[in-house]
Amino acid sequence: MDLAALGDCLGTSSCLIFQTVGGLKIGLLMFLVASGLTLIFGVLGVINFAHGSFYMLGAYLAWQTMALTDNFYLAVLAAALGVGLFGVLFERGFMSRVYRGDVLVQILLCYAFILILDDLVIIVWGEEFLSSLGIPDAFHRPPLFVGGAIVPVFHLFIIGFSTLVAVALWLFMTRTKWGKITRAAEQNPLMVSALGINTSLLFAGIFALGSLLAGLGGALAASERSISSGMGFSVVLESFIVTVIGGMGSIGGAFVAALLIGMTRSFGAIGFPLFTDGLMFVLMCLVLVLRPQGLMGRSGG
Amino acid sequence: MKHETFLKDVAIGIGVVLLLALLFQVITDPGIHDLIIKTCIFGLFALSLNLLVGYLGLVAFGHATGFATGAYVFGLLMQTGTWTIPAAMGVAVVAAAALAAVIGAFCIRAREIYFAFLTLAFQMILYSAIISFVSLTGGDQGLMGGYPKPPFLGIDLSRPFDYYLFVCGVTVICVILLRQVIQSPFGYALRMIRDNHERSYFLGIQVKLYQWIAFVIASALAAVSGVMMSLFVTGAFPNFAYWSMSAEPLFMILLGGMQTFLGPLLGAFILQLLNDLVTEHTRYYGLVLGLVILFFILGLRRGLLDVVWDKVSDRRRKAGTVRPASPVTGDAEARERS
Amino acid sequence: MLKLENVHKAFGGVIAVDHVTLDFAPGSLSAIIGPNGAGKTTLFNLISGRIKPDGGRVVLDGEDIAGVHATEIVRRGIGRAFQVASIFPTLTVSEALTGAVLSHRRRTLTLAGRFHRSGLDERVSEIMTLTGLEAQADTLSANLSHGDQKLLDIALAIALEPKLLLLDEPTAGMGPDERWLMIERVQALWRTGGMTLIFIEHDMDIVFKIAQTIRVLKYGAVLAEGPPAAIRENPEVIEAYLGAPAEETAS
Ligand SMILES: Nc1ncnc2c1ncn2[C@@H]1O[C@H](COP(=O)(O)OP(=O)(O)OP(=O)(O)O)[C@@H](O)[C@H]1O
Ligand SMILES: [Mg+2]
Repeated sequence: MDLAALGDCLGTSSCLIFQTVGGLKIGLLMFLVASGLTLIFGVLGVINFAHGSFYMLGAYLAWQTMALTDNFYLAVLAAALGVGLFGVLFERGFMSRVYRGDVLVQILLCYAFILILDDLVIIVWGEEFLSSLGIPDAFHRPPLFVGGAIVPVFHLFIIGFSTLVAVALWLFMTRTKWGKITRAAEQNPLMVSALGINTSLLFAGIFALGSLLAGLGGALAASERSISSGMGFSVVLESFIVTVIGGMGSIGGAFVAALLIGMTRSFGAIGFPLFTDGLMFVLMCLVLVLRPQGLMGRSGG
Repeated sequence: MKHETFLKDVAIGIGVVLLLALLFQVITDPGIHDLIIKTCIFGLFALSLNLLVGYLGLVAFGHATGFATGAYVFGLLMQTGTWTIPAAMGVAVVAAAALAAVIGAFCIRAREIYFAFLTLAFQMILYSAIISFVSLTGGDQGLMGGYPKPPFLGIDLSRPFDYYLFVCGVTVICVILLRQVIQSPFGYALRMIRDNHERSYFLGIQVKLYQWIAFVIASALAAVSGVMMSLFVTGAFPNFAYWSMSAEPLFMILLGGMQTFLGPLLGAFILQLLNDLVTEHTRYYGLVLGLVILFFILGLRRGLLDVVWDKVSDRRRKAGTVRPASPVTGDAEARERS
Repeated sequence: MLKLENVHKAFGGVIAVDHVTLDFAPGSLSAIIGPNGAGKTTLFNLISGRIKPDGGRVVLDGEDIAGVHATEIVRRGIGRAFQVASIFPTLTVSEALTGAVLSHRRRTLTLAGRFHRSGLDERVSEIMTLTGLEAQADTLSANLSHGDQKLLDIALAIALEPKLLLLDEPTAGMGPDERWLMIERVQALWRTGGMTLIFIEHDMDIVFKIAQTIRVLKYGAVLAEGPPAAIRENPEVIEAYLGAPAEETAS
């Protein structure tokens, strides 16, 4: 624990800005993944415990596309769409068979997929860590200096892009017909099927969207982190924590919570370098005690 | 009349231990000894979890918290060199129970899948604490350097046969205790809560209290298996607290059968066997295990002993009294979403 | 025995129970009637502690139990059965009743050792005899007929030896013959048990035949109360409730 360092950082604008930008980047990337998890939970009432493996798959797919085309944007797109498609297959082929089963079966099904995917990526891409995608050429430019802090342009891109996705998601949920149906399904699944809406289609669509977000998050994260089998597990847990803090099924809550966690990680890395993970959990426990339904969740849960 | 079944259990238990002791002498292959030891350790671990999953309908996904707490507290105490094994074991179990009492108080408030992942989240706090506090726990290296195993009551656990017998004996005792709990009025209440918690309230059963007590008991028993595991490796490792450590016993329960008392023990045995066999031939154990899990979930849809048991009871019971298929595939209870 | 004073409950905009004041005499047998959605079940939920009233008092033998937890209300002597039979699917009839009796005797926190068997089996078979479930003792609750499930639900409440028993449409979903059988059983239980009984019922023949007092609810409020003869004559009731053929209002 190094509270003095944390105090110093908070006192100097360069460190403050640098860590804030870092926190925003971490938090928004986390939001991309967590919003997928919370969306699926909100509508289907299941937690896709294999969500982290979808994130991993996104990273690998992006890496592969990058290796073939050397185009970063195409890589991200291919990863998002590929994982979205995989999500539909997973939902239709497997998950949809256990909605009516109990929680144990749902968890074990996801567990099976985590194990299988972790080994499959090794079989296909080998055991060695793959190096990060690297940032696209357009961002190979000198960093900005804001208030004495170094701010990489690419981080601003990630922040801007993720924010855009968040806004798009929000518009989709509030302005489009399917978004409204989705929100209605969260409130009252029976009503939606009573209205004659094809719930199978809705569920598959939601799963596709949720998985796509995981794949997108994985691909973007892979621009700067190395890629390996098993990289998804910590991600699904973090997403779960974000979901709990934000409120189960609440996208807005996930946004706030992800930023909160991002900042906690960023500044926690200075103050409590060894216990940043623990810090997130502590945050979650606090929320559970003070506000069990989460920051923006409906009561109950 | 229940008293008689207790005596019967004890008699059978003694018989089993004697048989296993004999087995040790007849089959000298240490691989087989290890298989039995691990079956006991993980079998008890899975059985204790099944008190929650099978008898109470609470899917706890953080059961390794008790296991790891037991192992680490025991290992740390033994490393001081001043503790006797029974005393350290007692403290380890009490510590795990106390921790479970706190965690349980949080988690019991949540329902179903929320409960499952909350318990997991608490387990991962423990995991990251173990990884972080290197000076105490050895971080990701685990508790290294071993510890002395002072003999007690003429038992010297550094001797393989003593340790083997110790594990078998402790497991059998715990299994008998667990069976007592399940057959007690308390166990009755648990099954009522599992079947219909709403109705249980209106019969005067304080559902949350019962869930909390069962959670503490299950965790204490998990700690016993953790202690035995610590003795096996003469230390403790952070993977004891890793999430997969909680997923495996869930699968053991499904594999062996949750409706049959000893089902999870069978599941532990099969999984251990599978592990030994598969890792001999391929390094893709995860892939194989994943496929096996899929087969059980989507193909067989319940545990092996449940299948056997249903076949037997089909013959024995008249049509009206056969238990419905295990709740794995049935609608466990109208899933309320609030 | 039981007094409701100004009890009020709304769900969002829907006023389910609207400032209800009622008094139930000890040992009485009374019926609550009213069209679908009148708030009858909600009233039971308020009395039995399933939900908390927004306002008003629920007084049981002089003590306000409004907002007290359901398990505690059970301990104070209120038992209930549900509109949709609420039972334990994987337990047999005798197992479920054993559990209920154990709970009533506060033995369910006993963790090990023998059942406190003294009189347990006797009590269980006594309840089964009372409710006519003897033949089904070893049948799984899930495999019982609809009528027997309703009976079991009531038997579970009886196991608590309640002072006050609340039955929510004991004859719901039954054919005419089965109804009368059921209602005779209920009446017999009330006679032998010496308890106060309140039941909700849609079948007017049954209500007028066996109830001592009838309360009519409409839109959450008490429209009328009194002995069957008076209710039958009450123009408001005839207009509001009996105006429609009884068959149509039965759910
Ligand atoms: N938990 C709840 N949440 C929201 N509204 C509720 C709830 N329970 C009851 N209501 C509403 O309160 C009103 C009264 O319902 P209640 O179930 O008490 O009627 P009832 O008289 O028992 O009807 P029925 O004869 O159909 O059983 C209805 O409009 C119902 O929709
Ligand atoms: Mg009703």
